[in-house]
Formats: sequence, structure tokens, C-alpha cells
Amino acid sequence: MKTHNEEMKVRILALAVRCALLATVALPLGAYADDDDLKHPTNTVNFGSLYTSQSSARFGQYNGLNKEGFYGLGGFDVRGGDGYDQDKNSALRWKLNGTDLGTTSRNLGASITDQGKWKVNLGYDELQHNITDTFQTPLQGDPGGNNFTLPANFGAVNSATGQSSARVLTPNQQSAFHTEKEQTTRRNSSLGTSYTFTEQLSAQIDYNHLEQSGAKLIGTGAQGGINLLGGSSGRAEGNNIIMNPTSYSTDNVTAALNWKGEKAHLTGGYFGSMFHDDYNSLSWQNALETGASTCKGVNCYTNNTMSTAPSNSLHQANLSGGYDFTPATKLVGGFSYGYNTQNDSYAPTLIPQASGTAYNMMQANGLAASSLNGHVETKHGDLKLTNQSIKDLTLTAAFKYNERDNRTDSSTYLYKDLGNVNYTGVNTPYSNKKTQYEVAAAYRLTKAQNLRLAYERESLKRWCDGVVGGAQCVSSPTSDEDKVGLTYRLKAFDDVTFNAGYSFAKRNANFDHNFVANTGIYAPTIAGTLNARDVLGFVAYPYATRAQNLVKSGINWQVTQKVDMGVNGRYTVDDYDATLGVQNGHSAGVNVDVAYNYEENSSVSAYWSWQNGQRNMRNGGSGTIGNSSAAVNGAASQAVAPKNIWANQLEDNSNTVGLLTKNGGLLGGKLEILGDFSYAFDTSGYSTQVFYTPTTGNPPAAPISVPCGDSNSLTCGNLSPIKNELFSVKLTGNYKVHKNGKVALAYIYQKLNSNDYFYNGQQFGYTPNRVMPTGLQAQDYTVNVVALSYSLAF
Amino acid sequence: MFMKIILQLIVLCSLLMGSAAYAEKITAPVGKAADALNKDSECTRCHDENEKKPILSIAQTAHGNKADSRTPSCQSCHGDSEKHLSSNSNPPDVIFGTKKGAYSPSEAKDQNKACLTCHEKDPKRTHWQGGAHQTADVTCSSCHVSHTAHDKVRDKKTQPEVCFTCHKDQRAQISKFSHHPIGEGKVACSDCHNPHGSTGPKLLVKNTVTETCYTCHAEKRGPFLWEHQPVTEDCTNCHTPHGSNITPLLKSRAPFMCQECHDGSHQSVSPVAGNAAGTQGGLTTVPSENFTGRACINCHSMVHGSNNPAGALLQR
Repeated sequence: MKTHNEEMKVRILALAVRCALLATVALPLGAYADDDDLKHPTNTVNFGSLYTSQSSARFGQYNGLNKEGFYGLGGFDVRGGDGYDQDKNSALRWKLNGTDLGTTSRNLGASITDQGKWKVNLGYDELQHNITDTFQTPLQGDPGGNNFTLPANFGAVNSATGQSSARVLTPNQQSAFHTEKEQTTRRNSSLGTSYTFTEQLSAQIDYNHLEQSGAKLIGTGAQGGINLLGGSSGRAEGNNIIMNPTSYSTDNVTAALNWKGEKAHLTGGYFGSMFHDDYNSLSWQNALETGASTCKGVNCYTNNTMSTAPSNSLHQANLSGGYDFTPATKLVGGFSYGYNTQNDSYAPTLIPQASGTAYNMMQANGLAASSLNGHVETKHGDLKLTNQSIKDLTLTAAFKYNERDNRTDSSTYLYKDLGNVNYTGVNTPYSNKKTQYEVAAAYRLTKAQNLRLAYERESLKRWCDGVVGGAQCVSSPTSDEDKVGLTYRLKAFDDVTFNAGYSFAKRNANFDHNFVANTGIYAPTIAGTLNARDVLGFVAYPYATRAQNLVKSGINWQVTQKVDMGVNGRYTVDDYDATLGVQNGHSAGVNVDVAYNYEENSSVSAYWSWQNGQRNMRNGGSGTIGNSSAAVNGAASQAVAPKNIWANQLEDNSNTVGLLTKNGGLLGGKLEILGDFSYAFDTSGYSTQVFYTPTTGNPPAAPISVPCGDSNSLTCGNLSPIKNELFSVKLTGNYKVHKNGKVALAYIYQKLNSNDYFYNGQQFGYTPNRVMPTGLQAQDYTVNVVALSYSLAF
Repeated sequence: MFMKIILQLIVLCSLLMGSAAYAEKITAPVGKAADALNKDSECTRCHDENEKKPILSIAQTAHGNKADSRTPSCQSCHGDSEKHLSSNSNPPDVIFGTKKGAYSPSEAKDQNKACLTCHEKDPKRTHWQGGAHQTADVTCSSCHVSHTAHDKVRDKKTQPEVCFTCHKDQRAQISKFSHHPIGEGKVACSDCHNPHGSTGPKLLVKNTVTETCYTCHAEKRGPFLWEHQPVTEDCTNCHTPHGSNITPLLKSRAPFMCQECHDGSHQSVSPVAGNAAGTQGGLTTVPSENFTGRACINCHSMVHGSNNPAGALLQR
């Protein structure tokens, strides 16, 4: 018979056994649950809605939120495969993901891989670039099409010199203006696959198809010399801003076969890029005429045609690899050969006119061919040797060669320019090659200090082969640039790093002021073609001798494990050796950053960036002051400098401040609040000054400045600066409604103040008399966005 | 007494079974994967799911796919770390990172050596040695995190913020009025740059600036019948790719931009400033199409080249 105590013992025993059994099951499961969360992917699906308070192409430029109203939000990220399960000896993993599905900025992707063996991935990306929604035009035609016509009752526009612009448009004409949205859309589809044959050998192929649609605005000059009913004729260089179609597709293929051994590796590959434009021409009607006209109807307009981007292709073979002579001495290098062709049919040159007589843009027998049959060979070679066999010293020697060899034939095209004047055009296929050498030594002075010294030489050669008539095509056939750079890094303490660098580069360019170019109708005298008709003494800045100094420095301080600070800055000065042209420029920048991670999931950081740039140009001008000759390089008859010198200065200034906050762990870990505040203010200003030398002489007398309001003055003074001021606030609250569910509420406020003189001349009342107004407006906006979404994790 | 022994045995067995079940979950795979997990277990004894930084989530990454025979163990990257195993007051052989935490990070060359052991012969890293980032002592861990499923720098939307940790000028530039959609997550820095080293300038993915730009802007490639010389050489003669106050990504604006290279033909000799109407007008009393709005590009709009037989002046 059991005693009460014995019964109690049995009960305790039973309880203990149950507890133990429970522990047997529960403890590992509990441990595994956390462990499992970490080792297995978290899948997410999110969906919701977003409201935008204002339609704005600028606000919605790239984010797809260009229209006022509601948008759907959707996204997902789902992963799986036995490769995530360590119980199974499988490396198979797959992934599906999508973002921004409810906007024109959507993205979808899928991939599957047996890691180490093969991989296949698919992608789709869409991007609608909203450019402007204020463009107005009287031209009719679908955006994305290539033919634009005027309404039959639009009538002629008198654009004779001296006409005031706004007054020549009748109310009827103004009523024909309608708004067209300027936008382009890119749809990018991709397929990629890779296969590993052995540990040493693998291959991959990537294919990308980019489909583009929509249109971008383009300036056009109308054809002169087309007579119209009513005694007038089409205005040469009458400007219509029209919609240039971007009906393009580009197919890019990249294929590579990779081999790697113990001491060497090699990759042979192919890159192909095939670009196709659905159109080869763009046509439009022009109503701007040389004088007053009573003409009404379609015969009052001239028809015009210009070319669009020609279809072309590039096929490139690539070989690259490396060899380790020793673990400390390595050689890498590569070679590429590319063949770029373009043989698209030329745009039509015989332009039908509504009056019945087609206008031929070419002179008799002026068309040398019906397409270019252009081909360019690109060649690249590189070698780099690195050596670390001396303790603390790393040596590098490198060589690079790039050539663009344009093998297209040169031909003579006899045509009529926009002014209906015969023009002899000779195409000059440009070729260039660049050779670069670099040697560098990096030395670790102490464990905390590093010094690097580098020298680089770059030689550039430009030429044209077989130009008809022997005309020169380049003013600067060669240049050499030497560059030295010194970089110093110091780890002052465990928490403080400092770096400083200085580089000096000197480009010596051969510039031929006696350069004789083919300048079409301007060729009758050699003097007229000297220096490509630029004022003697003028040098285009990419071809000028130049000295460049750059200084930069930065310091980062990890104040505590929670606080970081950083300051860095740079300053560059460029000086050009040119009597006329860009003289000099400088740029500077300072960045200050502070971050405070006050808790594990909470932080605040702030930054300030300031950038400034200035560029000074000195040109020889023309105008109301009489010129006198001043020969340069012995050339006679063409000279302005040093008379009528004018200067122009561009100054860019930019300030950006930002504050980022993250406050997690609120409401018992359920709520997280994110804040993103930023303010950017950019200005670009032009200032033009005109100086006069009272006498000629060598050297000339000191120039004097004449007030810009002086009646003898050329146009000078300051343009109102281009200003863009962007203020942005983004607040997001993420609330965990249950273990796997999260609600996000976001609010965005963004305000742009944009002030740009660019738009002044496009309004009725300010438009030059030979320009059809567009009504384009600066793109100010104030947009409020509220978004609510739910995210489920599983 | 007997019952007590039984009870103790049951509890012991239970614990052992539980542990065994747990251990089996970790070490179930066979072959190389099992070997790697066994090596890992030396570390995961302490560095378990309770770590502040989620060490075990490396299993979600390519580095934790143990069935791939190339997959490393903890020791492959951090070293055998025997001193650390004997006492955690000693650091592991290789500490990744850029900031001082419980231990100071290892030197850049030691950190990178651990990664390059496997990755150096990848074609995209051929030019790492002697490249701009290598010589500046940038470490792989300056940009990459290898223990979490989401490596920010490999995600188009979050990559820029990683790059901007150092490239702060560009951080400000991408929010300028004219910019590539970098902040919007549609273009990543690595679409144009190869941070691991390249043959191109500025670590560009292609051999030259033009080749890189033509990857997306193939309509500018030509060759055109009438070429514009600076365009054939370098897009950055006129454009600044990270952002500009002047659309589209221009360094300056017509007519001033054009006047930096042309001073003779047509109106390029004329100084232009604001006129009486407060707009850019030139010498005439009414605004001139030569200087206003698109200025030179009102007519000479084919600045990237023209393929029209009547377009030598880049007008058609």
C-alpha cells in the first residue's frame, strides 16, 4: 500500500518527467526558433496606397509620382530553396522580388541558382523620365512620332527683323497652342546565366534589351529659300522647339569564358551592342516667314526635315587576365578590339512642299552616298605590374592604350545651308589615341603612417585620315600631360584618421593657330579659315596647355563608440595658357558630418556640404566698336584681339544640409520613426565684362572698363543667377501590429523654388521674333505625399 | 533511491536528446559542408543567435551556402584565432570593419587578403591591386557586410549611401536640379564604376568615358557623318555626370559653353549678358534667338553629331 508520501513522490516524479520531456522538446525548439529566424530568409510582401497632392513632372521626374492622385504601392521579396536548409545537402536557392509595382518606376527580378554550379536571373526595370509638363506648341502630332504639322488655319508668322515677338502671333494662333507632356520611358529586360564547368572554368552570358519610347525637346532651324504663296518665303533659322522621338531599342550582349588557375587567370569575352532607331528623320512645318503675309492654309508653311540618331552597332572582343610571378609580384593586363559600324540610310534631302515644288537640300550631284558606311575601330591594351616584395613598400607600374580609329571615308557633300546658300561640306572622321604610363610607390612609414607618390604621363594624338582636299581637322594634333601626386595618411590614434593629398598636372598641348579647316562656304580665302575661323589667339579649352593643382584633406574622428565626426575638403586650380579662351578656374568643396548612434536602433546624423566653382573666360569680340588688325602668329587680316576683349565668369555655388534621424524601440519595441530632412540651395551666375584698350600696341595699354549701360558698350553685366532651392522632409513611422506584420505611414513634403532665366525667352512677349514660343515654365512645386502600407513577413 | 536515479537519468537523457537534436540541426549535412559546419561550431558555441550582430544570418548569404564546396568556414576569413579561443580578451586573427569596437580592426591588407584569397581572380577584381581603392587602404568591409542577407552595397537602392560614406561631394551632387536617377534607386554607382578596379578612368566599368556612357546612351555612339570632335573624345568635356544646376547635366550653358571652344563663327564672338528686359538678349533691343533660351542650340541642336548629308553645321 502506498503511503501519502509515496503518492506525492510519484506525482512529483511524474511532474518532473513531464517537465523534462517538455524541456526535451521545447528547449531545442525554442533555441532553434531564433536560430532558424537567422538562418532562413524572411520573405516579405507589402502593399498599400499613396496620395500625391500635386501634378508635377519635376517632382515625379524619376519616381513615377508625376500626377496628382492615388497610386498603388506594392512590393515583395520571396526567397527559398533547399540551399537554405542545412539538413539538405543542396545549394539550390531562388529569389523573386518586386518594388514600386504601382508606379512607372517598377522593378521585377527573379533568380535561381545551384550555387557553385549555375545561375539564371531575369529582370525587368521600368523608368519613366518626366521632363516637363509645361511645353506648349501649335504643332500637331503624337509625342513619340516623327511628323508634326500645323493647323490649316494657323497662318503665317511675320518674323522679319525688328518685329516684336509677341505681337506677331494672332489670338487665333495663340489659341492653337496646346500643352504636350515631354517624357521618355525606358523598359529594360534582362536575362543572365552563368555556368561553372569546373573549379577552374566558368562561363556567363548576359543579355539586356532596352526599349525606349517618348520624346525629348529639340531645337530646330527652319529652311530658308522656300517661296510661299502671298509673296513671302520661309524664314531661314526660324526656330521651332519640337518633340524629337526616342523610339529606340538597344540590345546588349556580354559573354565571357573565365579560367583561373593557381597562379594565373584569364577571361575571354564578347560585348555586343546593337542600337536601333525606328526613325531616321524628323519632319515639321514652320510658319515663321520673312515678312508680312496674308497667306492662309497649308501652303503657308514650309516643310522641314532633320536627321535622328542613326542605328549602329558595336562588336567588341575582350581578353584580360593576370599572372602571379610570386605572391608579391603580379601582372595583370588586357586587350580589347571593337568594331563599331553605322550605315543607316540618310534622312530624305528632297523635301516635298505643300506648294507643290519639292525643296532639294542638296546641290546638283551633291549627295556622295545614300548612307555613311561608317566604321570605327576601337583598340585597348593595358598592363599593370605590382610588386610588394620589399617590406612595407608597394610598387606599381602601369601602361594603358586606347585608340578610336575612325576608318570612315571622307567625302564631299554639296548642299544648301539653312540660308539657302551653297555649302561644300567635307566630313572629317575624327580619330584619337591616348597612351598612359603610371609608376607609383606606396610606403608604410610606420604602422600608422602611409605615403604614396605617383607619376603619370598621358600622351594624346588626334588625326583624320584621307580627308578630301587635304583639309586639317584638328587644331591640336598632340598633347602630353605629366602628373605627380602625393598622398599621406595618418592614423593618429585608434580613433582618428587623417589624410592629405596634393597633385600637380601640366598638359603641354601643341596648338596650331594656322590650322586651316574646311569651313564650307567660308573657304574662299585662307585667312577666313585660319584657326577654324576663331579669333587668332583663341584656344578651345580641351586643347589648351594647362596647369592643374589639387589639394585635398580630411579627418575622421570616432569620438566614442557612439559618436563619429568627419570633415574633408578639396581645392583645385586650373590655369590655361591661352591668349583668348578659358583662362582659369577653381573649385572648392567642404563636407562636415556628425553621427550619434545613441541606442542600438536609434541614431541621428547631420551633414553639410558646400561646393563652389568658378571659370573665367576671355574672348575677342565684335560689336559696335571698330576693330583693327593685330596679327597673331604672323597671320594677317584676321584679328580682333587684343581689341574688344570681353570676359565672362561662371560661378557655381551649392549648399546642402541634411538631418537623418532614426528612433527605434518605441512603444515597447513596436514603433520606429525615421526622419529625413534636407535643404539644398544651388546658384549658377554669369557675369560678362567688356574692356576696351584705348590704343593698340604691344603690349597693349591697360584695358579700361566701360559701364555696361554705356551706349558704346557691348552687352555686359550680370545675368540673374540660375537658382534652385529644394526643401524636403520625409517622416516614416513603422508600427509592428503583430510579430510578422508592420504598418508604415509615411509623409513627404517637398518644395522646389526654381528661378532660371532660360525660360524668360520662351514666353509670349519675350520670345525672339524668329522663335516659336513654347511657354515653358520654371518647374516650381510644392508637393505633399502621404503613404500607408502594410508589410507582412513570413 | 531507484526512482531518483531514474529521474536523473531521464532528465539527463532529455537534455542530451535535446542537445543532440539541436546539434543535429546544425551538423546534419555530410561531406565538405559538414566539415565546414564543424569548423564553424568552434565559433558558434559562443557566437550564437544571441549575438548583438546577427552572426548566424550568414547562412542566408552565399558565404553560408554550405552545399557549395567553395563556401568558407569562419576560420577561412577570421583565421584559426587560437588565442581568441583560449580567451576572448584576445582578438580573433582577423577583425573586419573600419571602426573600433570591442577590438580594433585589423590592417586593411590583412582584411583584404582574407577576401582576395578566393575573390582575387574574379574578372571584376583583376585590377584591384594598385587601384584607387586598394591604394587608399579601403577594405572590403568598408563597403560590404558579409553576415547579413542584405548587403547594402549590392542593392541598387541602397548602394549610393554606402559609396557616399566617403564620396560626400557626390552625395550633394545627386540632388542637384539635373541628375541621374541615383537617389531614386534607378541608377547605381556600380552601373558606371567598378570599385574593385578597372582599366578606365575614375574606375569606370569600360575602358573609356565614352564607352561607359554609350552603354545606356547608344544613340550618341554613331559614328556620325558629321562628328563633333569633343564628343568623340570625352563626354565630360561638356557634361558632369553626378549632377548639375544646369540641365541636362551640363558644366555650363549655351551660349557660354559653346564660347569656351568657339570664338569666331557666327555669333560665338559676341559677349552676351542681360538686356534691358532682364533677359539674356545680346546686342539687339529685342531678345535674340542666338543668345536666348537654347541659344546656339536653337539651331545647332545636333551637338552629338549629325547624320544628315546637309548637316555639316550640326543643324539637321
